[in-house]
Amino acid sequence: MSSVIHVSDLVILVYFLVLNSFYALLLVLSVPEIWEQTRLAEDEDFQRLMQSDALPPISVLVPAHNESATIEASVTAMLTLEYRHFEVIVVNDGSKDDTLERLRHAFDLYEVPATYPATIATKPLRAIYRSRTRTRLLVLDKENGGKADSLNAAINASRFPLIIAVDADTLIEPDALLRLTRPFLLGRQIAAVGGTVRVANGCTVKDGRVVDARVPGRFLPGVQVVEYLRAFLFGRLGWNRLGGSLIISGAFGLFRKEYIHGIGGYRTSSVVEDLDLVVRLHRYLRARKVRYEIPFIPDPVAWTEVPESGRVLGRQRERWQRGLVAAMWQYKGMLFNPRYGRVGLLAMPFFTFGEMLAPLVEVLGYVITVGGFLLGVVNTSFALLFVVVAWAYGMLLSLWAVALEEVSFRRYRRFGDLARLLVYATLENFGYRQRTVWWRLKAFVTVFTYRHVWGEMTRKGFEAPGSRAVGGARV
Amino acid sequence: MTSRQFLLVVALAQGVLLVALIILIILNRWFRLRRSVKLRPRRVELDDVMRRWALGQATAVEVSHALARLPVPLAIEGLVTWSARVAGERWQELARTLEHQWWARVVRTNSRSARWWKRLESAHFLSVVGTPHDLGHLLRLLRDAHPAVQLAAVTSLERHGSPMLVAAVLDQLPSVGGTAQAYYASVLKRARPAVVRHLLQLFRRLDDPRLPRIIEFAGRLEEPALRASFTTLATHPDPEVRTQVARALGKFPHPESASALGLLAEDAVWSVRAQAIRSLGMIADPTTLPVVRDALRDEEWWVRLRAGLALTRFGGPGRNALLNAEVGAHAGARDMARLIVGLSPQALAEYAA
Repeated sequence: MSSVIHVSDLVILVYFLVLNSFYALLLVLSVPEIWEQTRLAEDEDFQRLMQSDALPPISVLVPAHNESATIEASVTAMLTLEYRHFEVIVVNDGSKDDTLERLRHAFDLYEVPATYPATIATKPLRAIYRSRTRTRLLVLDKENGGKADSLNAAINASRFPLIIAVDADTLIEPDALLRLTRPFLLGRQIAAVGGTVRVANGCTVKDGRVVDARVPGRFLPGVQVVEYLRAFLFGRLGWNRLGGSLIISGAFGLFRKEYIHGIGGYRTSSVVEDLDLVVRLHRYLRARKVRYEIPFIPDPVAWTEVPESGRVLGRQRERWQRGLVAAMWQYKGMLFNPRYGRVGLLAMPFFTFGEMLAPLVEVLGYVITVGGFLLGVVNTSFALLFVVVAWAYGMLLSLWAVALEEVSFRRYRRFGDLARLLVYATLENFGYRQRTVWWRLKAFVTVFTYRHVWGEMTRKGFEAPGSRAVGGARV
Repeated sequence: MTSRQFLLVVALAQGVLLVALIILIILNRWFRLRRSVKLRPRRVELDDVMRRWALGQATAVEVSHALARLPVPLAIEGLVTWSARVAGERWQELARTLEHQWWARVVRTNSRSARWWKRLESAHFLSVVGTPHDLGHLLRLLRDAHPAVQLAAVTSLERHGSPMLVAAVLDQLPSVGGTAQAYYASVLKRARPAVVRHLLQLFRRLDDPRLPRIIEFAGRLEEPALRASFTTLATHPDPEVRTQVARALGKFPHPESASALGLLAEDAVWSVRAQAIRSLGMIADPTTLPVVRDALRDEEWWVRLRAGLALTRFGGPGRNALLNAEVGAHAGARDMARLIVGLSPQALAEYAA
């Protein structure tokens, strides 16, 4: 028995060393990347860009399901983005509330015939509407088919070469589209580009815009601010340098439409459509030997509301993990496959062993440690030291993300907010991390039993108390 | 060293790093706050002097002193912001004054810097206050390895119409990405005479692979002197060239344009046909109405869409053609006519954009 525990200990130790060395690599790589991105973000003369006709037209796709409470405000905010040439396509995915009626009333909709070629199969459309007051707006009313199906319907109806999928409850900063197109202006071979998603809880929101960024006082949403910073400012920036980013947030990502057509649009059976889409995009482009990049740029920002209760957060995290497990299983052929370059040799192994299996290994570590104590085969001081090192490393990574935010964008202007960030980054490893491990662990059981349509989650709402059903932006 | 000692060392190192990181984060915030408090009055002073200078109540020397009191990046930012608000001649006066400032000389020298952000700063600076003496710096920055530096240097064409700069930018134009190309084009438009001369030379190189991009750009200029060259290129073997020619000809309402577009409307490649029909709609010559009406029955959806939109620009006859198609036998034409007839005028304008 003791030899089993020792071997398991060794495996966990090696796993810990390899994974954390990789995180250290990402951490180091994030430094030059944020330096470059911050310089470029500060440099841009947006007025000049706005006046030129250089920027490519963009179709903003907004799937909506039971969004009656906020649809009018969020669509109005999207229609007033600072961008010269764009359209907004809202898809009412068989809402049971009065989402469509609200849109019809707010934007004076009138029906037009559907004549465009439906290149991606979707659930039947009931009607297509244009607005008499907002010519940029197109509304599709269709039978319920889920978020991916709605996005496919919007892709069919879109006219422009770039598409951006935005959740109906996501608040996009006015200049975010302009900033997202920067890689195109710099002449890079872009297949897709992702921006930052930040936590809107606690912020002051006016007319669909975040006017005062705050860190929430409550622990659960507050600690997610640190999580989001870590995921976006350090994780994805590091991956930029490694060239294998696998996630463009479904709540805020710009894609070249021709490639989305090439892979047949969003897969309606996937649990988390964003991860699935990007993995398929890599596979498609690599197989065709197309030169491409899928970068993340940190300065375009969209704000999303994160769950404030453990129950809702647990469901969200379980869903994300379920999506990760399903995607890694589905595309296992890419794992360690040199045909897919860095994606096959670096990104897929990292997401499989570092992300997907992490909760299993962590729980195994806790079980073995406790078991070892009970059997008296584990050295107590050594085990405690190991746990301290593991937790301190987690704290170091979170603080690093806060440091990156501080030297670059500094959205949280008050000292009080900075203090909260530091506290949350420090406390995250005590209790919260273990809860997320438990939620993610459950996904291994539910992965083959769940059917996904819309990620149903009750949230508080930005400006007024209420509840809405949304999928949640993946970190 | 035992594994326990190793872990102990790691734990201690982590502890030190954690404390150091927290102190650094707080110090960074404090330092930035202090710096911004210190610099704010100087920025306000610069804005004030600039405003008075723009009204003729202050001298360029006073402006240059106010600029010298700011850190270089902020001074350049101030110059870029104000360059759009002050008339050309007065601005030239400031450029001449700044030529001899020590900090401006350092920024100029930075065009050779190994660090791209220094070169970017230099390009921004020269794009607004560069003088004819800076041509060498600008040509170097135009060929920079970093695309952001190139873009900033291209902006200098708004103030320097030098034929050498124009030729350098035009040579580079076809090799940059589509969006950057459109940006280059928007800047090049302002140096029109030099650009047109150079373009006429480029049009003679029929086998140049950059020809489609050059025609695309030339079309944006809407320069009558280029129309004849476009018409000649309508029979070019490369479909991409023909597509760009079809797009460009729509901006020249002339019988020769209409006749070339009529030919292109029957092209074997649908993208050429779609552009030709769109351009025929822009010209709206009544003699070409039958060609556009026939295109409503094209096998390609995009061509039918362009034909439907084009017909709305032919006034009454075009509308009648759409109404006839709406009850006609051709299913594709019928659907498209239904869509177009049902659109509001604003939506039509939006579609046609």
